[in-house]
Amino acid sequence: MLRMRDLSGGYGPRPVISRISLDIAEGETVALLGANTAGKTTLIRAIVGTLPSVSGVIAFEGRDIVQLPAHRRVALGIACVPEGRHVFGQMSVRDNLMMGAYHRRTEDLGSDLADCFALFPRVRERQAQAAGTLSGGEQQMVAICRALMAGPRLLVLDEPSHGLAPLMVAEVHGAIRKVNARGIGVLLVEQNVSSALKVVDRGYVLESGAIALSGTSRDLQDNDTVRRTYLGI
Amino acid sequence: MMRSLLIIAAVACVALLLGAVLQPRGYAVRVVCLILLAASLGQCWNIVGGLANQVSLGHAAFFGIGAYTSTMLQIKFGLSPWAGLPIGMLFAALVSVLLSIPTMRLKGPYFSLATLAFGEACRIVATAATGLTGGPQGVSVPFAGNSWLLLQFRGAGAYVPVFVGLFVVVCVAFTLLANGRLGYMLRAIRENEDAAEVTGINTLGVRLAGGAISAALTAATGTMFAQFTFFIDPDIVFSATSISIRAALIAILGGVGTLAGPIVGALVIVPLEELLSAYLSNKAAGIAPLIFGLILIGIVVWRPSGLVSLVTQRRGRT
Repeated sequence: MLRMRDLSGGYGPRPVISRISLDIAEGETVALLGANTAGKTTLIRAIVGTLPSVSGVIAFEGRDIVQLPAHRRVALGIACVPEGRHVFGQMSVRDNLMMGAYHRRTEDLGSDLADCFALFPRVRERQAQAAGTLSGGEQQMVAICRALMAGPRLLVLDEPSHGLAPLMVAEVHGAIRKVNARGIGVLLVEQNVSSALKVVDRGYVLESGAIALSGTSRDLQDNDTVRRTYLGI
Repeated sequence: MMRSLLIIAAVACVALLLGAVLQPRGYAVRVVCLILLAASLGQCWNIVGGLANQVSLGHAAFFGIGAYTSTMLQIKFGLSPWAGLPIGMLFAALVSVLLSIPTMRLKGPYFSLATLAFGEACRIVATAATGLTGGPQGVSVPFAGNSWLLLQFRGAGAYVPVFVGLFVVVCVAFTLLANGRLGYMLRAIRENEDAAEVTGINTLGVRLAGGAISAALTAATGTMFAQFTFFIDPDIVFSATSISIRAALIAILGGVGTLAGPIVGALVIVPLEELLSAYLSNKAAGIAPLIFGLILIGIVVWRPSGLVSLVTQRRGRT
């Protein structure tokens, strides 16, 4: 579904990520792992379309999207939950979700809303409340639902468990599995490596802006470097 | 939305009634006209300043473009201001898009300062370009007697229906924007630009569209102003204090981002201006801007959401 070849890019003349190749198959769940400053968020921004300078190939369902602006990529089916839960704080939860579907020009959003509420019943309870007044975990749920309302084929999540209580992490990761079960591909960026590897099929490990390692989640769990560096075993 | 339209209709009816009842050459009706113009100006500013929270301090640029375009077209080519009006609006929209190229990446005070500088630059250019604008001594709208075709009348009373028309157009435009797709997108950008971008909003396009609409309507207000005062010069229509900052002041005082805000703001500011210039201009000339500055500071400190919030908040509590 997503094919990336020799992708380099950054915020200025100096590249932050270099020559990255990465694939996500139809309906697959893939993790992007790595320490701080490894270039995870930069890579996400390249996929989503908010990185100032990129070169290389990103093909989404066979179509080269490297030059497309962010809002066109959303229309193609790439939805993103940005790092740090950017919800529209003064809008109601319901309006936040509706903003996610704004580009679809369809009146029939009832079933999509119902799907979101089924995923996170908490969001249904809070739908009239201003999104900024929710707890961190609830805001994360809203951000995920907003991305789902765009009707994506690929959902990109940047550190969804960052700063959440362990119980919330489990709930968010559980939701990712359910989303994936609907046939939506997922790219999950995580620092919480052990819990991420339980959710995904495959993973890539990013180090200093390049892919250092890739494999199935089982392979990565057994890999010595991963165990030492990220799992602390 | 129905409530907003009712508010607009009610204010329009009261203004029309006052226009019909008051002495048509009198002072009071002149104040009504000034209030309508001020409310329209504040509402134009409110489209970008309120919905997208981009505090522009350069709206005089568009106001002046509107005033000068229609006036110069009439002087040089004998064109009716009714034709000059849309040309000025188009011109202002174009200028606002060009202005967005350097300013679109700026946020908060940086955006405000850039627009302030742009407004001043327009004033200086208009002063220097004597061939185009008549330069610092200004130009007069040629008077040919009462005429709907040339949009000019002897007494202020005849302008009331015209300005009510402008006021209604600007306010309805704001209401439609605020409740429509563009308004929601502007608000999403105000709340969180990064999130808006990854949510699939064309942030650049939305900002350009909002800015162009605001600029065009401001230009229309400028044309009306020129037809009302019959004389314009760069220091009047491109003024940073009496146009740009006043537009922001009117909206902020009343309530940023609300329909009623600029209306309430104009109802307070214009009579206050008239009182100050009537009673204090002999003893303490130039004290009015100082007082407005103090009012603005007071509002921002004690009531950041404006005078309108005094009513809406109480209703919320009971």
